[in-house]
Amino acid sequence: MPKCLVCYKWTLDEQDIKIKPEDLSLDSSRAKGKISDFDRNAIEEAALLVEKNGGAVDALSYGTPTVKQSLKDCLSRGPEKAFWIGDASAETADASVTANVLAAAIRKLGQYDLILCGEGSSDLFNQQTAPRLAALLGLPCVSFVNRLSVEGDVVKATRKLEDCVEAVTVKTPVVISVLSEINKPRIPSLKQVLGASKKPNEELKVADLGLKPEDLQPKAVRKSVKGFVMQRKNVIYKESSAADNVAKLKSSLASEGLC
Amino acid sequence: MAGIFVFSEDIALAGQLMTPALELKQSLSQPVIALALTEADAKVIAALGADKVIVLQSSAKWVEGFSEAIYAQVSIAGASVLLVGGTLRGKHVASYVAAKLNAGMTTDAKALRIEGGKLLATRVLYAGLAVCEEEVTLPAVATIRARTFLPPAAAATAGTIETASVESDARVTVDEVTSTSAEGIDITAATKLVAVGRGFRKKEDLKLAEDLGSVLKAELACTRGVAEDDHWLPIERYIGISGQTVKPELYFAVGLSGQVQHMVGCRESKVIVAVNNDERAPIFEAADYGIVGDLYEVLPLLTAALGK
Amino acid sequence: MNFELTEEQQLIGQSAREFGKEYLEPIAVDLDHTGNFPKAVVDGLAKHDFLGLLLPADFGGAEAGFVSYVEVIESLSRYSAAVASIVNNHTIAAYTIQHWGTAAQKKQYLHDMAKGELLGGFAIYEHGPTPGVGPDALVAVKHAEGYVLNGKKAYVRNAGEAGVYVVFATTDPALGAKALTAFLVKADTIGIKVGEKLETMGLKGCPVADITFENVVLPESALLGAVNGGVAISAKALAVASVAEAAQTVGIGQAAVEHAAAYAKQRVQFGKPVATLQAIQTLLAEVATDCHLARLGLQNAALLIEEGKPFEVEAAMIKSFLVRLGSKMLLDTCQVEGGFGYSEFMPLPRLFRDIAGTNLLDAPGDFPEKLIAASIA
Repeated sequence: MPKCLVCYKWTLDEQDIKIKPEDLSLDSSRAKGKISDFDRNAIEEAALLVEKNGGAVDALSYGTPTVKQSLKDCLSRGPEKAFWIGDASAETADASVTANVLAAAIRKLGQYDLILCGEGSSDLFNQQTAPRLAALLGLPCVSFVNRLSVEGDVVKATRKLEDCVEAVTVKTPVVISVLSEINKPRIPSLKQVLGASKKPNEELKVADLGLKPEDLQPKAVRKSVKGFVMQRKNVIYKESSAADNVAKLKSSLASEGLC
Repeated sequence: MAGIFVFSEDIALAGQLMTPALELKQSLSQPVIALALTEADAKVIAALGADKVIVLQSSAKWVEGFSEAIYAQVSIAGASVLLVGGTLRGKHVASYVAAKLNAGMTTDAKALRIEGGKLLATRVLYAGLAVCEEEVTLPAVATIRARTFLPPAAAATAGTIETASVESDARVTVDEVTSTSAEGIDITAATKLVAVGRGFRKKEDLKLAEDLGSVLKAELACTRGVAEDDHWLPIERYIGISGQTVKPELYFAVGLSGQVQHMVGCRESKVIVAVNNDERAPIFEAADYGIVGDLYEVLPLLTAALGK
Repeated sequence: MNFELTEEQQLIGQSAREFGKEYLEPIAVDLDHTGNFPKAVVDGLAKHDFLGLLLPADFGGAEAGFVSYVEVIESLSRYSAAVASIVNNHTIAAYTIQHWGTAAQKKQYLHDMAKGELLGGFAIYEHGPTPGVGPDALVAVKHAEGYVLNGKKAYVRNAGEAGVYVVFATTDPALGAKALTAFLVKADTIGIKVGEKLETMGLKGCPVADITFENVVLPESALLGAVNGGVAISAKALAVASVAEAAQTVGIGQAAVEHAAAYAKQRVQFGKPVATLQAIQTLLAEVATDCHLARLGLQNAALLIEEGKPFEVEAAMIKSFLVRLGSKMLLDTCQVEGGFGYSEFMPLPRLFRDIAGTNLLDAPGDFPEKLIAASIA
C-alpha cells in the first residue's frame, strides 16, 4: 500500500513557441500550458502502482501562480490530492531553488514511500530534480527507471542507461525518476476529468516552508535565449537528370574534402 | 581552498573534460583535481594535465553510490567548479552533489567560460528549439556530454595520484547489469554517417545506404521510427532528441524529412547532405548540399560515382 | 462575458483530441476506404465516457454539458468526422430518450447507452416529400396491444449497428406529418429489416441505410412522448443535433486549414514559401476566419442549450452560415494545396467529401433561413 508523491511541472508547450525572425528571440505568448511530458509518465506510473498495490497518490507542483491551471488536469490522471505552490519566485527559479522549495514542502507534507519525478522537464530538460531532492531529503535515488514494482517496503527498479540495463533493489522511502518509455499515460476519461474538481487541492505558501532567503536565490541565471536557426549553405541540386545531380554533388563533396 | 574538479566514470569522457578544465584553470588560477574510480583511470587523467587525481576506493562499484563521497571531496577542497561527464550516471551524481553544495548546475553545457567571476555556460532548450547562456555563481557544477570537446594533448608533467577510501551508498543494491551495446558500434565516434529515414520502403532497401556508406567509409544511423517502430536498425543507431547526438564531419541524410526532433541530434555536423524526393522537406533547409530525387535512383548512381 | 471554456471543458476537449490523435488518426484513411464500422474505436470511445457524455450520472453518464459535447465533436471531427458522426447520431438518440422518455424507458435504455453497450440510431427521414407522407411512409396503426408499424425509413444513420432506434411514424396518413409520433424500437424487433448499406459520398464508416418495417408490433410502452407529439420532438432533437453537426463541420474545416497552412509554409514557388503569396494568404485567412466565427456561434448556441434557453434561431443561423460556407472551406484549402493535395492519399479529398455529407445533415425546422427570418420579421 505505497503512499506515493509525484512532483510535476506545469510548462509551456514548446510546440507553441515561435522564433521571431527579426532577432531570433522567442515568442511564447500563444503557448498553452501543459503538464511536462515526462511528469505525465511519473503520474501514470504512480497511478498504476496504486491500482496494483493499493495506497494513494498525491501530487505536488511548484510554479508561478498559473500552476493553478494544472490542478484539474493532474487530478484527472490518478492522484487523489494535489498540493501546489504558486509563487512569483518560480519565474526565475533554477534547479537548486526548485529542489529547495519542493524538498521543504515534502518535509512539511510528511512521509512518502515513493517520490516520483519525470527524468527531466520537457522545456528545460535539466534532469536534476530527482537526485537533488534525494540529496536534500537524505533519501536514496534511483534514476532513469523504465520498470518499477513495489512489494511491501521493497522497490525493484530497472534503469535504462546508455550502454546497459541495470536492475536494482532499494527499500522505501526512495526518490525515483522515470523515463518516458516506462508507460503510456492514459487519456483521462470524461468522468475522470469531471471527477477532478471533486478532489481536494491545497495551496502551500513559500513563506510557510521555513526556507532561508538564500535557498530562494537562483544560482544559475539565464542571460540570453535565442532561437536556434540552421545556417547552412543550402546548395540543392534538382536537375531533371539524376546523373547530373550526382555529378554536381560529387564535386561539392570533393571541394569539402569529403571524398 | 579552491579547485576545478573533474569526474567521469567513462575515462574517455573524463579525458575530454580536461580540455575545458584546463581552460578554467587559466581563468581561475586554480588547480585541476580529477576524481577517478580506478588506478588505471587515474593514470590516464594524470597524464592529460590534472594537477592531482584522487582515486576513490570502495568495495561497492555502483557509480551513483559515490555521490556523497564526491561531494565530500569537492566541498573539503572548496572547489569552484565541478565538471562531470554527462552520461546518465554522471547527471545523477552531479545533481546530487550540486544539491549538497546548494550550487547551480548546467546540464549538457556546450561551451564554458569564466566571466565576471561566474561560470558562463551555453546549452540547448525547448527540445532543441533554442540555445541559451546561463550564468552560474561559483561554486558551479556542469555536466558535459561526450564529444563536446576533444581531449587535450598529453601534459608535460603528469599530476600526482592519491587514493582515498570511501563509503559508497549501500541503500541501493545492484542486482544485475545487462550490457546493451549490441555490436559495440559507437556511432557517436564515427566521422561520417549515412542516416536513413522512412523514405526507405523495406528493410532490405537499406542495402542502398550501406553501399553508399561503404564507399564513403561511413557508419549507418537512422531516425527514431526506423529503430523504434520498424526495428530495422538497433536503437543505438537512432539519432535524435531522445537518441544519440553526433558531430561527424559528414552527415548524409537519405530519405528522412529532417524534423527538429531528429535534427537536434546531428545539427552540429560539419557538413550535412540530403537526398529526398520532396523538395519541401525541412532537411533541405538544414543541409549544405542536397539532391532532390528518388533515393532508389540517386543512391546507386552516387555510390558508383564515389566509388571511382 | 467570458469567451473561454471552463477548465473542465478544456480538459474534456484535450482528452478528445488526444483520443483522436491516438485512435482516430491511424484509422481515418482506411475507414474512409473500407467504410467498415470501427467497432474497436467505438468501444474505446465508450470506455472514455464519450458515448454517455450528456447523460445523467444516475444512468452512468458523465453529465457534462452541451458545450463540452460540441468541444468533443469538434475535436474528434478533426481526425475522423465519420466517427464523430457515429457519436452524434447515438447521442441524439440518447438525448431524445433522456428528455421525452418515461422513467421506465430511461431505465431500460440509458444505462447501456451510456456504457456504449447499446448504440442509438435516429430514424426520421423517409423517401417521400416529408415524413408521414407518401406510399412508403411509416404508418403506425393503433391496436389492442399497442401499435403496428408498416413502411420505410430512409437514410438512417448507425443503421445496422444501433441496438435501439428512435423512430418517427405517422398515426394518421391523412394528417401526415402532423400526426408524427415517436417510438423506441429495439433493433431485434421482429419485422425490422435494415437495408443494404449505402455507399455514401463521405463520412464513410458511419453506416447509413434504409430500414423497412413489416408488421412490426410495438407495445404501448414503446411510445416515446405523446401521441402525435413527434413533430415537436423531432424538431427539437434535430435542432440540437444541428449544433453538434456544426461542430463537426468546424472540426473538418479546422483540420483542412491547418493542413493547408502547413503545406503552404513548406511549398516553395517563385523562390518563397507560397504562404507569403497574397492569393494563398487570402484563402487561408477566409477559411480560418469562417472556422473561428462558426465556432464562436455554435459555442453560443451550445451554451443556450446547456442553460435550457431558447436556441433554435441561433442554431439555424449557424446551420445557414455553414451550409453556405462549409464546402467553400474545403474548396479553398484544396486550392491552396493544388495538385499535391488532390491525391486520395492526402486528407483534403476525404475532408471535402465529409464536409459535404455533414452539411446535408439535420437542420432545425424546414430550412434555417425560414426560422431566422421569422425571428426578426
